Amino acid sequence: MFWRSKRLWREPGSLKSSYDAVIIGGGLHGLATAYFLARHHGMTDIAVIEKNYIGFGGAGRNTAIVRANQRTQENLPLYKEALELWPVLTRELDFNLMFYNCGNLNLAHSDAAIKAMRLQVASAQYSGIDIKLVDPRECKELIPALDISDRPRYPVFGGMFHPPGGIVRHDAVVWGLARGASKCGVDIHQNTEVTGIAVSGGRVVGVDTGRGRIHTSRVLNSAGGYSAAISSGMLGIRLPISVLTIQAMVTQPLKPFLDHVVSSGMYHCYANQTLKGEVATGAHMDPWPNYTTQCTGHYIKHQAEALSELLPCLRGVKFMRHWAGLADMTPDMAPIMDGNDHIRGYYMNCGWGYFGFKSSTVAGKYMARFISTGECPDILKPFALNRFEQHRLMGETAALVSYSADN
Amino acid sequence: MALLINCPVCGKRNGYEFRYGGEDKGPRPDDESLSQASWCDYVHNNNCVAGIQKEWWFHKDGCGAWFTIYRDTRTNLEADTSADTSIPEVK
Ligand SMILES: Cc1cc2nc3c(=O)[nH]c(=O)nc-3n(C[C@H](O)[C@H](O)[C@H](O)COP(=O)(O)OP(=O)(O)OC[C@H]3O[C@@H](n4cnc5c(N)ncnc54)[C@H](O)[C@@H]3O)c2cc1C
Ligand SMILES: [Zn+2]
Repeated sequence: MFWRSKRLWREPGSLKSSYDAVIIGGGLHGLATAYFLARHHGMTDIAVIEKNYIGFGGAGRNTAIVRANQRTQENLPLYKEALELWPVLTRELDFNLMFYNCGNLNLAHSDAAIKAMRLQVASAQYSGIDIKLVDPRECKELIPALDISDRPRYPVFGGMFHPPGGIVRHDAVVWGLARGASKCGVDIHQNTEVTGIAVSGGRVVGVDTGRGRIHTSRVLNSAGGYSAAISSGMLGIRLPISVLTIQAMVTQPLKPFLDHVVSSGMYHCYANQTLKGEVATGAHMDPWPNYTTQCTGHYIKHQAEALSELLPCLRGVKFMRHWAGLADMTPDMAPIMDGNDHIRGYYMNCGWGYFGFKSSTVAGKYMARFISTGECPDILKPFALNRFEQHRLMGETAALVSYSADN
Repeated sequence: MALLINCPVCGKRNGYEFRYGGEDKGPRPDDESLSQASWCDYVHNNNCVAGIQKEWWFHKDGCGAWFTIYRDTRTNLEADTSADTSIPEVK
């Protein structure tokens, strides 16, 4: 038998008229929160409501890169714990998440970039994260195919190498979490759209779906690219988010030549060689907000130019597949994790942009604690929505690249 | 599919000639009644409509004009809403 006839998770059939908590979105963050609620907090009467199929959003479209080399003291511990969770969850879920800790090399193309990296490396080391600065020769030792001559438009000045990062199989995370949550009793309703959130007396009382009303006192908005539209459209809570299409593509399979994830902010390009041999590469976001998820020739050309400058041996290699997803970007490149602020029982976990795969399990872990106790865990407190009002934006934006929608 | 934007001066041009200038949020709140919340709302917050929105553009590689258009964020197509009053003005 080369196929499974049995689904990994239970199809719950009819939608119950009430649940202890309803989670909007069967993406990484929604499924992770459901799993931790059911498995670690004993809250098993939970519905995950997914408009399409689980993994339809960023969960199934990301380039699967994981790392912990963030910039700020608030973000570093969260991402560090996330990285440490992959082997733990692989065991706990009894599901091979294919964590491949091949290490990440970030390139610098100017003295200013090296200085910015020095600060980033020191901050990460201070949080106990394994990372170091490397010179161009060391970059070449790590990635022999890299062109460190002065021929490229942006020559390599050095970089930072982060050995514990790498790649995790993103579909496996979706399936593993869905199976784990389902085993504990969570109902995953696919092909069901949330159309409204009912509030009465400042509290959540229900969620409206295409299949009827669910009575509940707790709802989590983890709808990825659609979370900001849901928040403003259904509750009138406008968020500091811009939604942008972001594209990725893979080349034809090649013999192994690239042992690490390599990225360059200057070239707006990152790449790794998958276990199948394809070079998976991610591009920058569209420079204007849109929900199209359209692929454009603009980025094929851009990726081809960037990759053939950085890794000249890729010249003439063909792209095989090209896809796009949505990135919900905040102005400080840090997520919004909050709850019970304007409305009791309304929780949100969004603004994860193009970096919310690596952190999804740890975000789910702490959001589950938040939802089950009603108390915000200390580690999540800096991520509250009111930071924007209080001018406490986090410094997660790269010094050299501005990711704002209007740049 | 590329984005085409209709500049009031230059006509239909490739979207990459322009710089997106944000959702149209109406006039800047006046200093008198300004609060942390209203300033934050004006500076940072968006409606993020999956549909037609009124928005600002700047013809940076062209004539330099700033202007507003209506665009469907699901298709990137400009919408002619000159006669349509059902599109709510963003507050
Ligand atoms: C091309 C690309 C590359 C990326 N690369 C990386 C990377 O290398 N590393 C990294 O860490 N991150 C990466 N990301 C980001 C990462 O994929 C996202 O941050 C992550 O998927 C966000 O998870 P989520 O659960 O919030 O949203 P999603 O995974 O998008 O899930 C949201 C779900 O909500 C559903 N939904 C929406 N509206 C409704 C509704 N009204 N009712 C019910 N359901 C609804 C959607 O169908 C979707 O399934 C990348 C993203 C893209 C698009
Ligand atoms: Zn013009």
